[in-house]
Amino acid sequence: MFPYKGYAGRYLRVNLTTGEIQVCELDATFAETWLGGNGFGTKILWDEVGRDVDPLSPDNRLIIATGPICGTLMPNSSRSEVIAKSPLTGIYGDANVGGMFGPELKFAGYDMIIFEGRAPEPVYLVVEDDRVQLREARHLWGKTVSEAQALVQQELGDDNFKFATIGPAGENLVRYASIQMTPNRSAARSGVGAVMGSKRLKCIAVRGFGKVPIASPREFYEIAVQAHKKLLQNEFYKPVSRYGTAGLVTLMNRMGRFPTKNFQMGSFPFADDISAETLHDRYFVNDVGCFNCPIHCDKVYRVRDGEFAGAATNSLEYETLGSLGAGVWNNNLASIIRANVMCDELGLDTISAGRTIAFAMELWEKGILTGSDTGGIALEWGDYNTILDLLQHVAHRQGFGNLLAEGTRRAAALIGKGAEQYAMEVKGQEIAAQDGRAQRSMGLAHVTSTRGADHLKGFPVLDETGYPSEGVRRYGTQYMPEIVDPLATRYKPMLVIDGENFGAVIDSSGNCKSGGTFVLAEIYWQEMADAIRTATGMDMTVERLKTIGERIYNLQRCYGVLHGISRKDDRLPRRFKEEPNPSGHAKGQTFDVDPLLDEYYQLRGWDVKTGIPTRAKLRELGLEDVADRLGIM
Amino acid sequence: MQLYIDSTKCTGCRICEVFCSFKHESAIQPAKSRITVLTDTEPSRFIPFTCVQCARPACAEACPVDAITRDAESGLVSVNANECIGCRMCVQACPFGAMAYDRDRGVAYKCDLCDGDPECARMCPTGAIQFLREEITIARRRKEGPTRLKRAAHLIEGE
Repeated sequence: MFPYKGYAGRYLRVNLTTGEIQVCELDATFAETWLGGNGFGTKILWDEVGRDVDPLSPDNRLIIATGPICGTLMPNSSRSEVIAKSPLTGIYGDANVGGMFGPELKFAGYDMIIFEGRAPEPVYLVVEDDRVQLREARHLWGKTVSEAQALVQQELGDDNFKFATIGPAGENLVRYASIQMTPNRSAARSGVGAVMGSKRLKCIAVRGFGKVPIASPREFYEIAVQAHKKLLQNEFYKPVSRYGTAGLVTLMNRMGRFPTKNFQMGSFPFADDISAETLHDRYFVNDVGCFNCPIHCDKVYRVRDGEFAGAATNSLEYETLGSLGAGVWNNNLASIIRANVMCDELGLDTISAGRTIAFAMELWEKGILTGSDTGGIALEWGDYNTILDLLQHVAHRQGFGNLLAEGTRRAAALIGKGAEQYAMEVKGQEIAAQDGRAQRSMGLAHVTSTRGADHLKGFPVLDETGYPSEGVRRYGTQYMPEIVDPLATRYKPMLVIDGENFGAVIDSSGNCKSGGTFVLAEIYWQEMADAIRTATGMDMTVERLKTIGERIYNLQRCYGVLHGISRKDDRLPRRFKEEPNPSGHAKGQTFDVDPLLDEYYQLRGWDVKTGIPTRAKLRELGLEDVADRLGIM
Repeated sequence: MQLYIDSTKCTGCRICEVFCSFKHESAIQPAKSRITVLTDTEPSRFIPFTCVQCARPACAEACPVDAITRDAESGLVSVNANECIGCRMCVQACPFGAMAYDRDRGVAYKCDLCDGDPECARMCPTGAIQFLREEITIARRRKEGPTRLKRAAHLIEGE
């Protein structure tokens, strides 16, 4: 018997080739070593998906995993993690998502589902407590996310199922396709939707009536209630709960950290047109909270009149205002709402989709792409009708959209003519709405992220706008003021490493990085260790938890190393080093990440020349077998 | 005292379900929560709903063993689990679906207002669920309509 509470203690393994469904008991040592979500997926990928496996082949795995805090009393305990080898980067890939799906999976009695193989015909999976079955989904193939979910709901005769669904983009193997989860949340990055599509799995519908048991109910209750209280009192509660992440538009624009015109600029002159305030005044309908989250950063927006009347969306994030707004020089806010709806319905990552279009627009501006390349489509900055058309074309791989569906790195290689210098990506994944020229720590985090360019692995938020109170609380006074200064490089490798390790733990626990841990930074190592200990009954300490975070991150890096990743790949696009940021607080700044890497690798215990974890470090983390497999001496 | 539910403030986060189920089951089990957030997904709209503590409770009417009683003073309608024979007549009788049946224990169960300090109201972060004196809840409801009217009038004047 699995000894720990907090977990469901069981998981599903579904072989889509044979249709076989196994219910497996979770192993205690596995849970102690890898904690949950992010850790579980990393270890399974390492064990089961080797170097030669094509991400879109039946041999890849699609893992949806929760953690011991998911579906519990802790605030923001909504998250699940999707892990697969990424078709966008060819290395470790993951996407973390909130909403209702993860908790429901636990109430159904499972911590995780592992999919392998490829169904001969499209299928969907129904999980209702002990009743688990694959059903035929030919009639759902080609449908948008909401169409497919409505049909499944009808078939199951119950509107309380929680869904994970791909749209046409996932079916058509767009390399940045998302998986959409109830209610309209996106597991978007790393192209996990394309992996689901490659397995011919359209949808997962989950309904759970069971319970998540707790080891020390009274103690855990106190910890959770305290955490809820602290969140409500946090200085950022009001703005974040009112505006969500969209509130960052104005702040980041001022800093020169709001990538505009494919990173040619760091500020968007029309930022006020797409700010959270404008969004709220014109289109706000109501707040939406993820499972057990008091922050409700998600909102419903509806366009009531004009050319996009009727467009209604959940969760229009800062990132999307960046990628489908400033990034493509588009200040028509209603069109961004429409674009967000389309991405959610077609199953596309708004970040990579917008960045790929911005890349193409810059190539058009520079004359590298012409009408003969695009099938006659003119790629003028800010032409939102073209942007909306392109999203359709990408999702269906029509015409020029077929090229953009490959993502910037592959598209650049196919286009040639020096296009690659305008591909704003790291390791194949498009950079989100941050800029290392305006925030050094973020530039470093982009290159050290284990899933390609990403703001959420290191997630250095302390120096984003300067957060001195938390800087002191987390690290003491000795690193002030540099640690909260966005343009200082000092102490930033330490800040990024701590974020990466802590983030790996949060993404494994089922808690949220945007919620109480990084943005409203009330839950840190001690609070998380206490929560895990009292929820599960594991003998969890801060030291042990830190080791788990470091172990997970090292194995993700090693999975990259297995695929040839080393220091040479930890680099930013040329633009950041050579073209000064023209605007905002960061005006005139360039950024060279290379000098920061020495310190980063040293602190990590990795070889400074190669950026590869040393045997000593891997041994310390209990990963000597990993060193053996990689041939690290 | 009464649960005052203002669904316009509900975000659908289900904190009420989580804490209700924990209070009564010592585990997190929204399926056994006495309060449920009903969802309308397009676009997301939410309505928390639980027992309304009827003055003439149909559940009590239907109970063949008088296990359901209403406290005249507090107005609380409660199930005596020791008397309950698990026939589920009350579940059928309740027009709101507020009465439920616990298969593990073989008894009916419903909102018990947590002995006068409801967890749902205590934990709700937006004030969508509050526990208030009846007179106050009526006064608030009374204010809602006219306030909206006044706002509408200003809107028209503004234009």
